[in-house]
Amino acid sequence: MEQQFLESGALPDPVLEVNNLKQYFPIKAGLLQHVVGYVKAVDGVSFKIKRGKTMGLVGESGCGKTTIGKTILRLNEKTSGDVFFYGFDIFAISRKQMRTIRPKMQIIFQDPYSSLSPRLPVSEIIGEAVKEHKIVPDNEYDNHIDRIMKACGLEPYHKDRYPHEFSGGQRQRICIARALALNPSFVVCDEPVSALDVSIQAQIINLLKDLQDEFGLTYLFISHDLSVVEHISDDVGVMYLGNLVEHGVKKSIFQNPLHPYTQALLSAAPIPDPTLKMNRIILEGSIPSPANPPSGCKFHTRCRQCMEICKTVAPETKEIEPNHMVSCHLYD
Amino acid sequence: MVIIMPENEDKTPKMDPEATQTGAKPEEMHLDDARRVKVLSPGMLVFKRFIRNKLAVIGFGILLVMFIFSFLGPLFSPYTQTEVFKGVGTMSKDYAGATYNTELRYTAVDGLQFGSAERAQFLLALGKNLESFSYGDNTYYFTNEDEGVYRIMQLETVAEVMLGIFRPLAGDTVAEDLKAAYQTAVDNKQNSFELNGITYRMTKNKKATQISIEHDVALAMLPVYDAYNQSDAQVISSYDFKLASTRAIAKEKDSFSVGNQTYSIKYNEGQATIYTSAGKEFAQVSDIIVNPLDQSLFLPVSFKSAVREAIYNDEPKFSYVDETNETEHYSIVRVNTTYNIKKETSTELIRVFEKPSGKHLLGLDNNGMDVMTRLMYGGRVSLLVGFVVIFFELFIGIIVGGISGYFGGWVDTALMRFVDLVNSIPFYPMVLIFGSVMDTLEVKPMARIFLLMVILGILGWTGVARIVRGQILSLREQDFMIATEATGLRTSRRIMKHLVPNVMPLLIVYASSGLGGVIIAEATLGFLGLGVKYPLASWGSIINVASDAYVMTNFWFMWIPAGMLILLTVLGFNFVGDGLRDAYDPKMKR
Repeated sequence: MEQQFLESGALPDPVLEVNNLKQYFPIKAGLLQHVVGYVKAVDGVSFKIKRGKTMGLVGESGCGKTTIGKTILRLNEKTSGDVFFYGFDIFAISRKQMRTIRPKMQIIFQDPYSSLSPRLPVSEIIGEAVKEHKIVPDNEYDNHIDRIMKACGLEPYHKDRYPHEFSGGQRQRICIARALALNPSFVVCDEPVSALDVSIQAQIINLLKDLQDEFGLTYLFISHDLSVVEHISDDVGVMYLGNLVEHGVKKSIFQNPLHPYTQALLSAAPIPDPTLKMNRIILEGSIPSPANPPSGCKFHTRCRQCMEICKTVAPETKEIEPNHMVSCHLYD
Repeated sequence: MVIIMPENEDKTPKMDPEATQTGAKPEEMHLDDARRVKVLSPGMLVFKRFIRNKLAVIGFGILLVMFIFSFLGPLFSPYTQTEVFKGVGTMSKDYAGATYNTELRYTAVDGLQFGSAERAQFLLALGKNLESFSYGDNTYYFTNEDEGVYRIMQLETVAEVMLGIFRPLAGDTVAEDLKAAYQTAVDNKQNSFELNGITYRMTKNKKATQISIEHDVALAMLPVYDAYNQSDAQVISSYDFKLASTRAIAKEKDSFSVGNQTYSIKYNEGQATIYTSAGKEFAQVSDIIVNPLDQSLFLPVSFKSAVREAIYNDEPKFSYVDETNETEHYSIVRVNTTYNIKKETSTELIRVFEKPSGKHLLGLDNNGMDVMTRLMYGGRVSLLVGFVVIFFELFIGIIVGGISGYFGGWVDTALMRFVDLVNSIPFYPMVLIFGSVMDTLEVKPMARIFLLMVILGILGWTGVARIVRGQILSLREQDFMIATEATGLRTSRRIMKHLVPNVMPLLIVYASSGLGGVIIAEATLGFLGLGVKYPLASWGSIINVASDAYVMTNFWFMWIPAGMLILLTVLGFNFVGDGLRDAYDPKMKR
């Protein structure tokens, strides 16, 4: 299996296929810690990512974006549904086999401060998994690390330093280098720039784009920042309370948002033009608890175009335009 | 030191505006030149911060001194831990008693009796200042021969005179010459007269005057006679000898004779020595009685003489050369009217509670052992117990806490409830019970130390387990631990390279502070007599001697040095622990 992954040329498209993925977390209570309910962090999500493409995943805090990112890497055990990585069901194999696939699918975390072990030097952080999986022959190891570090904007003399000696932007570069050192083909970028200031954000985003071109990477780019997603993505998915309410090609989504939530989200994005009068859609209330989601369409409690049917029947996902899916009763 | 350019977070040269400005001089280093930055590992940083903390360094110095003192000190000590020091000392033992004789002693004439009833009457009469007394049909008369010497005579009435009429009581008639002599005596107001070599005494009996002849019955005297030779005792205690000798002594004559024997007398400080005509010591007369404390012991007269001489001269000590020609020393202690004579014998004694001296810098303890040496060996035990217990605690605590934190779930719940269970065991009652059980089973001192370590460890690991569990639980949720899973590292590497190094600082801090606590606990147990047992020493058991108020107030060197050592060691461990805590705190920049 590992051998097949290494021969990436022969691998099938799409890179990632997610079918009706559900991830529930049990709520335990009482003396005996019995399960009293579930947090439905991801509640039936399906999408595909093609090789070399970037899928942006947007949504407000707590809608399940990060959980999707972790579950498709099998960092959580799914509740139901399927995740196919190059056609392989990653939940069907043993954990030991999973370990051999892991280098191909990497993750970059949101917080560059907690994602680096404070007691290891940078070379160790980047290189330990390279050695573990024998990504490169031993005699090329140093060159490989140097090359990756250079590609990520780090200098070779940074190798012997410890994470506490770096700034946030540099730390994020180390995180990126750690992920890329394993020659992955798919990287989950879990809000990689949200902890950084804007100037550094641009550097990191451009770095990610450059690396994508250089290494032919496929990204799942999770963010709540629409402008960043617009900049980097080929496809965009909009999440609300564990559901993918709308997804499709970037152009279609941004120019013609169909779902009321997407419309509200896009209207809230600031436009750097003071003369333009914004027509903002203000959403009432806050996101409901994923432990006790509303019936029917989960968005109906805040939807301005709510209909009777929305309160009882959950909408199906339909392809309204080519490569533009939406789940809303408005388009029935 | 770490120099990081604050304005220049991103180290790529082309994005560094200041680099071109400072690069005016060619030799000058680039601002973000790698050579400007000395790289330190987190461990080195901790070390640097630690040695900047003066208190921590002082604590470390104290501990270093303690270790050298305890582990190297015994190598240089000339004594061993259980060496008992003995010395020759004098021990005085009650040997004899002496007192001035206040009780009259009676010597009856051969063949006559002077019983206790008569003696009582005599004492009564003596008390009333009378000259005669009677008992039964007999009438007695007594004279004072010398101070404390009374001659008692029995009167035999020969006639009674009443209104000038003589009535014979013995024989038929009263001789005329007796009448005449009586009349002369009455005229001269005498109460006795002599006629034909016989002394007649006149005593009043109601209105009649009785004329009696007298004969000796007994001597009552305070002076005591001691025979030089036991075979002479018979002669010496005879009435004739005593009468003659007392009369002679009373008049301070140089000689007297009894029967056909002549004796000479020498006087010396309240005692008189009687010699035979051959010049041999015969008897000694004195008013001091000397008796041995042990009745089976025989005291030679020469010893008694020496005692008397010392008492008369008010000397507290005297020497006496005994039969075997050995000089022995005695002391005299006066208690009221008696004198206790104590024999001073030299024996080998344990030098208990000897004051500090050049040879024994901190003196000797209650067993005559060198306190300094015992402190060194005791330090070994105390420090060893501290370290072994802490390592034992860490060992159990890391395993239990690690399993609990890493696996979580019901394993965590079960283990933590077990920790609660162990935590609810009351420490001191438990240790007291263990101590008495070990006493009953008579566990060997060395085995005791190890059992003590095990017990302290078993009761103390819960703290470590909780710390490790908490730390691992929080680390497990950190992104870098998720990253190790995402990069597919082996479990062993995840634990050894990522979890353990991040738990270690906390444990080092805990261990260094906890050591002080363990040493205190050990000392407390030692003080209570439950810890390390005699003859092995520990600091606590050394202080235990001072639980006696007398020792505490009189022998400071028994407990102050040991107390100071415990105090300093615990302080040292606490300083080092605090220093490590501060050094590991990432908020502390330097």
